Amino acid sequence: MLPFFGRTSILWAMFSSSAFWVIGVAHVLGIAGAAMLGQRSIRRGLAVGALAPAVAALWAIGRLLQDDAANDPIVSELTWVSGLDLSLRFQLDALATMMTVLVSGIGAMVFVYAIGYFGPKAKGGGRFSASLLAFSTSMLGLVWADSVWTLFIFWELTSVTSFLLVGHKNTDGAVLAAARRALMITGGGGLALLAGLLVLARESGTTVLSDLGPVAGTPAVWAAVLILLGAATKSAQLPFHVWLPGAMAAPTPVSAYLHSATMVKAGVLLVAVVGSSFADVTTWKALGMAFGTASMIWGAVGALRHRDAKLILAWGTISQLGLLITLLSIGTGKAIFAGISLLFAHALFKAALFLVVGEIDIRTGTREIDELHGLARSMPITFGVAVLAGLSMAGVPPLLGFTAKEAAIEAVLGTSGWERWPALIGVIGGAVLTVAYTLRFLLTVFGSTPAPHADLRDDDAPAVADTRVAPRRLAMTVPAVILSGLGLLGYIFIGAVNSIVGPAATELNEKSSVYELIAWPGIKLAFVISMLVVASGAVLGVLASRHTQAAPQPLGADGADRFLDGTLRMARHITYRVQHGSLPVYVATMGATAALAASPFLFALEADHLVLWDTPIQAVLALGVIGAAIMGAFVNSRLGAALTLGAVGLGVSGLFVVHGAPDLVLTQLLVETIVVVGFVVGLGHLGQRFPRSSNIWRNVRLGVAALGGIAVMAALAAASANPSGQPPIADVTEAAVEIGGGNNVVNVVLTDVRGLDTLGEVVVLATVALGILALANARVSGPSDTSGGSAESNGVASDPKGVTT
Amino acid sequence: MSVALLLAIGGLTSVGLYLITARSLSRIILGFSLLGHAAVLGLLTAGGPPGPAPIANQLDGAASANPVPQALALTAIVISFGLTLFLLALARRQQLLSGEDLVEDDLEDRRIRDEEPEAETDQGADAHGTSAEDDDRFAYDLEDADVATGTEAAS
Repeated sequence: MLPFFGRTSILWAMFSSSAFWVIGVAHVLGIAGAAMLGQRSIRRGLAVGALAPAVAALWAIGRLLQDDAANDPIVSELTWVSGLDLSLRFQLDALATMMTVLVSGIGAMVFVYAIGYFGPKAKGGGRFSASLLAFSTSMLGLVWADSVWTLFIFWELTSVTSFLLVGHKNTDGAVLAAARRALMITGGGGLALLAGLLVLARESGTTVLSDLGPVAGTPAVWAAVLILLGAATKSAQLPFHVWLPGAMAAPTPVSAYLHSATMVKAGVLLVAVVGSSFADVTTWKALGMAFGTASMIWGAVGALRHRDAKLILAWGTISQLGLLITLLSIGTGKAIFAGISLLFAHALFKAALFLVVGEIDIRTGTREIDELHGLARSMPITFGVAVLAGLSMAGVPPLLGFTAKEAAIEAVLGTSGWERWPALIGVIGGAVLTVAYTLRFLLTVFGSTPAPHADLRDDDAPAVADTRVAPRRLAMTVPAVILSGLGLLGYIFIGAVNSIVGPAATELNEKSSVYELIAWPGIKLAFVISMLVVASGAVLGVLASRHTQAAPQPLGADGADRFLDGTLRMARHITYRVQHGSLPVYVATMGATAALAASPFLFALEADHLVLWDTPIQAVLALGVIGAAIMGAFVNSRLGAALTLGAVGLGVSGLFVVHGAPDLVLTQLLVETIVVVGFVVGLGHLGQRFPRSSNIWRNVRLGVAALGGIAVMAALAAASANPSGQPPIADVTEAAVEIGGGNNVVNVVLTDVRGLDTLGEVVVLATVALGILALANARVSGPSDTSGGSAESNGVASDPKGVTT
Repeated sequence: MSVALLLAIGGLTSVGLYLITARSLSRIILGFSLLGHAAVLGLLTAGGPPGPAPIANQLDGAASANPVPQALALTAIVISFGLTLFLLALARRQQLLSGEDLVEDDLEDRRIRDEEPEAETDQGADAHGTSAEDDDRFAYDLEDADVATGTEAAS
């Protein structure tokens, strides 16, 4: 069939083994290319952006055709820190291959669609194309990830890139608020996910996702709750769904791609991938089903309430994701198979429906169903696409959605135990409502029935005229036709779909291998239920399309915003308290903290190794040093302070003599002399007295100072009480003479052993000298006359404004 | 370990800490120097008891003082010397600019502190912008310059 890609083709084998990285690099290069080319013209940026996903999708399809996906998963690992299990690990198995087809295939089509969606003169093309491809890349990384670290990194990357895409229109405050809400909710869920993955990895003893074993006990419950929180935020499950309708502020290609087909599936995928580890954890199943069934019903109700076509689809997505989460957290072979099939079908029909809404939006200028009339006549191709995709969503034969929904009902009927009834009510109730909102969507958008409140409108025409429609854009039509057509083709060639979803489901649960999608099941219980669902949903849908209600309030979204604003306000309050701008207070705070951190040393003190002094002269010198230092602190003139500094330096030199360190003595004396001279030359002529500080602050400083001194003494005494061994003084001395060839051991250490350090020291001194030179020569533009016209103020006082004129 | 040395180290640390929390830059420099002394003495003390100088041909087999901390301490002395001199130059510069050598509160931080936390919810960017202009006279200068050149070019 495909000689070029034949099973024995060497070319294919070569490509396949390295394709993993080739595709990754192609995506990264594509991001750069799209950013640069899109700057000039958005069409070029999008066209370049489409290349990498197209290649990835074709490659994944090739692997599926070769059966490589299931038989020969590609594993690739890039170890960062091996001891910590930190690595980027990817595995391309059957499930990941199927997801690659969806992510990259729909991605490529969305790029093409966006060419039509944005006019040729749209601004921000580089940013948009690059962000969209960056998202596509992150999503690929997410579906390929095979270690908890990799999964988390790409999970967060999809949140961030999604934020950039939702907030594409970055001049609109409402859009930015929606983008922020989406980022905060999914990002917060990401943190829960990280915690959950860490617990799971520890309990299960591996960070490799495909090696995760079953877990049990209290930690497993924690892990289950945390991971489900992550999944529920990402997949917009009740009550975290509030970000998804807001995210419809994004350009429609983004909504079609991120908020229906791919990113929101990340949570579903996560539940599928780690679900087998939680097979014995009841909390996992119960919480997952609670999220799922609640979202299924509430999302469908939301879709029936809203009057913006795009919002109807968004709420429908919440409902469908709920169904997927329910099926996958039930976790039986049948349910996993149904879940994966539905995931596949949903990606196709929901992306197509979003593309339809985007096209309607562009060609009519509105998405409000009240303002859209008779589009079936004026946009026949779009109508056809919408009917195909919509009926697939409603689960009507002969479309892929029908067989997938059939499998779902079969799976729920096949459950036993407590989960049977909640799942049945949720799935069947959700399905009825799905049929209803689908029909309402199709009738109100495309039908020519006069708006029910026509008499309230200004123009007195009894039957509302069809909405005016702009000409068709080919780039928008083709991807929608392909995606919806695949729903029909998938039903006709059901075997091909089975060979894609079957291995993927088997990857998750071995028992899934016995199931397959059936085009025509015959009159069985599931089929009867399915037909009843369609019939009752249709009645409900027709009723709902006639009934008008005011646009509903965005329940919960304002609450989420209030929470975020409150958090920001709290952060500002804390900053306001902590970041006051006073350097002395910062230093005192740090000093006190460090001193208190040293308090454990107080408990490790031992008195028996302490002597009062090594020689009496040491005690005299020590007292002198302390006395001079204290004098320096309280003397009131700068000159006096400089002199006490010199005295302290001399005393310390004396202590060096006692300790047997002649090199230190020499250096210290030299250094001290220069510092005192520098002090006098640099600041001595200030001559004024030090400013006085308030008494309270003075006492605080004294307290911090006392704490610091005690802490250092305690630390030193405690450390010397527990030496880790005797210093090898004799060895060092011998080595200095024999290897270093010098008798002064300290000098040998400095030049031979740590020569590079000494070189660095020289560099530091040279840099300091340069800095001082620059500071001294810099021109002064401030109130230079207050310096008393001393010789140092050689800089010419110049007005910066004088330069500009 | 010698209590006298310990006290000297503790005393130097205390006074040093007291001085670096002062407002005057010259006192801060003084405090830095004292802390440097304390650190060097601490290094030496941690290395073991005193002894004869580590000069191999004058030891006659006796154990010397530990040479390794001495080598480390030498580096410490030199680096703290460089730091002190650089700080002195900075203090001198500050004094030339403002006539004093005081450490002012950070302007950015003070702006955050002075902002009314309640007022800034939605109009955050606006409040930020105006206060920046109020505080930063330099920004005005730049704007004026731009305007000036603009009119010149126009005329």
